[in-house]
Order: sequence, then C-alpha cells, then structure tokens
Amino acid sequence: MRPKETAGGATRIPRPPWRYRYTAISAVSAICFIGLWELAAATGAIDPQFFPPPSYVWHELERLVADGSIFDFILVSTRRVLIGFVFSAGIGIPLGILLGTTKVIRWIVEPIISIIRPLPSLAWIPLSMLWLGLSEEQKYSIVFMGTIAPLVVFVTDATMRVDSIYTRAAQNLGAGRFRIMWEVILPGALPSIISALKVTLALAWTCIISAEMVGSTKGLGFLIWNGKDLSNISQVIIGMLAISLTVLALDTIIRGMEHRMLPWHRGQDKR
Amino acid sequence: MASDRPIIRAENVSMEYARGVEVVRALGDLSLDVREGEILCIVGSSGCGKSTLLNIIAGFLKPTEGRVLLRDQPITGIDTRCGMIFQEYALFPWKTVQSNVEFGLKMKGVDKTTRRETAAKFIKLVGLEGFEKAYPAELSGGMRQRAALARSLANDPEILLMDEPFAAVDAMTRQLLQDQLVDIVAKTRKTVIFVTHSIDEALILSDRITVFSSRPGRVKAILENDLPKPRSASAQLTPRYLELKSQIWDSVQEEVLQQIALMERIQR
Repeated sequence: MRPKETAGGATRIPRPPWRYRYTAISAVSAICFIGLWELAAATGAIDPQFFPPPSYVWHELERLVADGSIFDFILVSTRRVLIGFVFSAGIGIPLGILLGTTKVIRWIVEPIISIIRPLPSLAWIPLSMLWLGLSEEQKYSIVFMGTIAPLVVFVTDATMRVDSIYTRAAQNLGAGRFRIMWEVILPGALPSIISALKVTLALAWTCIISAEMVGSTKGLGFLIWNGKDLSNISQVIIGMLAISLTVLALDTIIRGMEHRMLPWHRGQDKR
Repeated sequence: MASDRPIIRAENVSMEYARGVEVVRALGDLSLDVREGEILCIVGSSGCGKSTLLNIIAGFLKPTEGRVLLRDQPITGIDTRCGMIFQEYALFPWKTVQSNVEFGLKMKGVDKTTRRETAAKFIKLVGLEGFEKAYPAELSGGMRQRAALARSLANDPEILLMDEPFAAVDAMTRQLLQDQLVDIVAKTRKTVIFVTHSIDEALILSDRITVFSSRPGRVKAILENDLPKPRSASAQLTPRYLELKSQIWDSVQEEVLQQIALMERIQR
C-alpha cells in the first residue's frame, strides 16, 4: 500500500522498514524451496521423468521464450479472459444493482440466476461449441456464462447491504430514485463490487483454462494440455506457473486501480 | 423572531407498527405545536417515540392516525424543508466534505460555481475550513457532525430535525457543539426540533422543553426555558437552572420508572 496521507495532506508516513524484512524472508523461502526441489531430483529422491527439477523446467522455458510461444499464449488467454469478463461485468454490475434495489425485478430474475449459478463453466462447453464452433466468441461466451451468475449475486448482495441511512439522508436532501442509485447505492456498494470483481476474475481464469483444454490450439490451457499429450511435464509446469504469474500480475493491477477508485478508503488500510 | 403561528403542528398523531406478532404503539394521540424560530427540545426515556415523531415530520414514516402540518399544509411525503441530522452523521463516506455539503444543491440542479460558493459559506460557518477535501473517515466525531450540519444547512431547510445528534461524541466536544449550534441557529434563523435524553443539553439549547411520556409517547409537559442567554457553563449553577432541572427530572423520572417496571414485566 502507498504511504498514508492525512486530511491536511501534509504529513507522509514513510514505509516502515519491516516490510522489506518480510519480502526478504519470503524470497529466502522461495529460494530454499527451489533448492530442495533441485536437490531431490539430483539425489534421485524424485524421478525427473515424472517430476522434472527446476533446471529441466528452466530449459523448457528457454525454448518457449525463444520461439515466443509463451508470450503469445499468455496474451491470447488474457485477452479471452478480459473480453469475456468485460461483457460479464458490463451486464452483471448494472443488473445486480437493479436487482438489489427493485424487488419486482429481483423476483423475476432470481429463478433464472438460481438455475445458472450452480453450473460449472465446463458444463457450458458442449452447448457453446455447438452454437459458436471453436471460435474466439465461444471462449468469451464460456467466460461470460461462468462468471455472470456469481457476479450478479455478489453485486445484488452488495447493493442490499448499503446502509439505508444513506438512502434516507439522500432522500431528505431531495434525491430522487435514479440519483440515489447513482450517487448513493453505486458508490456505497463499490468496495464490495470491486471485491466481487476480483473473485469472479479468478473464476474467469478457471473458465478459460478449461475451455482451452477442450477446444483450442492456443492459450495457456492448450499449452498445459499439449504438454500432457507430449508427456512434456516441464511444459505442463510452465503452463501452470504462467497462469499463476499472470493472475498475480492482473491482481496487482486491479489492486492499484482499487486504490484509485476508492479514494475514501485511504487512511483505512489495515495491511 | 418567534411568532405565535406554529410552523409545525402535530394533530392527534398516533403511530403503531408491528414487531413480530405484537403491535408496538410508539406514539399515542400526540399533539404539539412548534413555534417558528425556536429551539424545541424533546426529552423522554428511551423508546418513547421521540425519533418516531421526527421521522414522521421528515416524511420517512406515515402516522397511523392524525396528521402533521407544516405551515398549515399536511406533510404527505419526504420534504426537503425539513432537514434531518442523524445521530450517526450519515455523511456519505465516499464524498469529500465539500461534495457532501454540495449534495442537496446538486439534487436541486444548482450550477457548480454557485454550489461551490454556498458550500464554502456553510463549511466556514461550522468552522471546517481547510477540511473541504477530507473524507468523513478522516474527521473526528464532532467534525463529522458539524459537516452534517453544514450539509443540511446548505440545502436551506426551514426546520432542522436533530435526532440525538451529539450522543456519539465525547462530553467536551459535545459542549462545544452545543455552543456552536446555538450560535449557528441564531445566525441562520432556523427552527430546530432537537431530540435528546440529556436534560442538561435540553436546558442549554432550548427555548422550550417538551417531556414525552413513555410508550406510547405523548406530550407530558411543556416548559418555557427562560434561562438568560447566552448560557455559559456558569448558567448551570444558577438557582433557576437547578429549579428547572429538578422540575423536568421529576416529570421524566416517573416515566423512566414506569418504563423500567414495564420492561421487568415483559422479562417475567
């Protein structure tokens, strides 16, 4: 987190040095883990055929970097996730707010959501393939179907949990229905909505990886599945690591955006 | 300032609501006149319907029976002429002090420049200059309540409805806020209905004091508060102050005892 700024904006509290100590401990831990892993293979405790040591994985990584395919696959998957997710958020957030504020609409839409929600994204793959083939649109649709229902439920819930005192205060100051939604409900629910986006974005990744495993010749899901077909376990591991790192990177970006979108939360950081 | 014509008139107001299976009677046949320009304090034991009355006047609740008139016109819905100040401040946490104060004007469609000027005026009035860009979370309780007051005043209501507004701040801050409120009300010539359970607070602020009976709430006594103004801390040592205080306490005490007896009966 950034250093705190107080009301006057004058004092800046410097980042305490113990935060660096945490980072150092984490780094040492990671290095030890990799060292032990390598050692286990070198001493024959694990069979490199079934569980390649870091040096093998590194070798494989060099190959994938050299032909550029790893970056290509990361970009392809990220693009699919983001496009599907933008559709999901674009529809899910307004719909959730509407459901949270209007009972009748909630009664109408809730049964549909309840039916869709328990379905894992994998269950949508056959239908999407029949309707959309193996196109990019099919990938977006998997991300969309896998995330829309939980997102709507989260947003509805966040909307309903906005303290009614703010609504009453706004009414008392002359705000109408639409203004209350825009000026009170949306910003009031925004912190929870952003949390919901973070959770559903992780969900979007599980959607795309499974979709790519089943029907794609590109993307990280394909990379892993292809590694399995070739018995190239290093490639499988690289694919998995690439997912982790990409999601982590996206998470960091979102956290930065969150900070900017919720300026009133500054000074309340508990981390 | 105070004319004889009531700005608010409550006529035989009753309020009942269901809580689970039982029906709670919050107000029972309450009638009350509020004079223009006065600070009327309502004291009473907890649960005597003080807040219910404010919510009816603000238009948040509709009385089961009776009606409330604002300048001889019945109140039928939420009316911006009655500005509410909540105990929990109810400032929008996502807006700066400035935007909070501007909110009512924005709803009215007032242009940005005028909004800014009006807000600046009221922020200055409550003594929050320099905190325009602060968010409510960055302010102390007393400052938040002053910001809430500025927000309400900027919307230019005729009546301020204050529901135990200083109950959540410490004693020292409360005293300062009380002084400021009296000052601001004198400057802005608002009518104030102030709910409190502190007799001292009522004596310091009010022109008149209404004692509510315990549930169902109705007016048990009305006292003219003739203590000379301004009422500094030393006013609390005068014989007249003590006389009024004991008079109110006698009235309230009966109700509190009844309330306690009632609670005990329910528990048994």
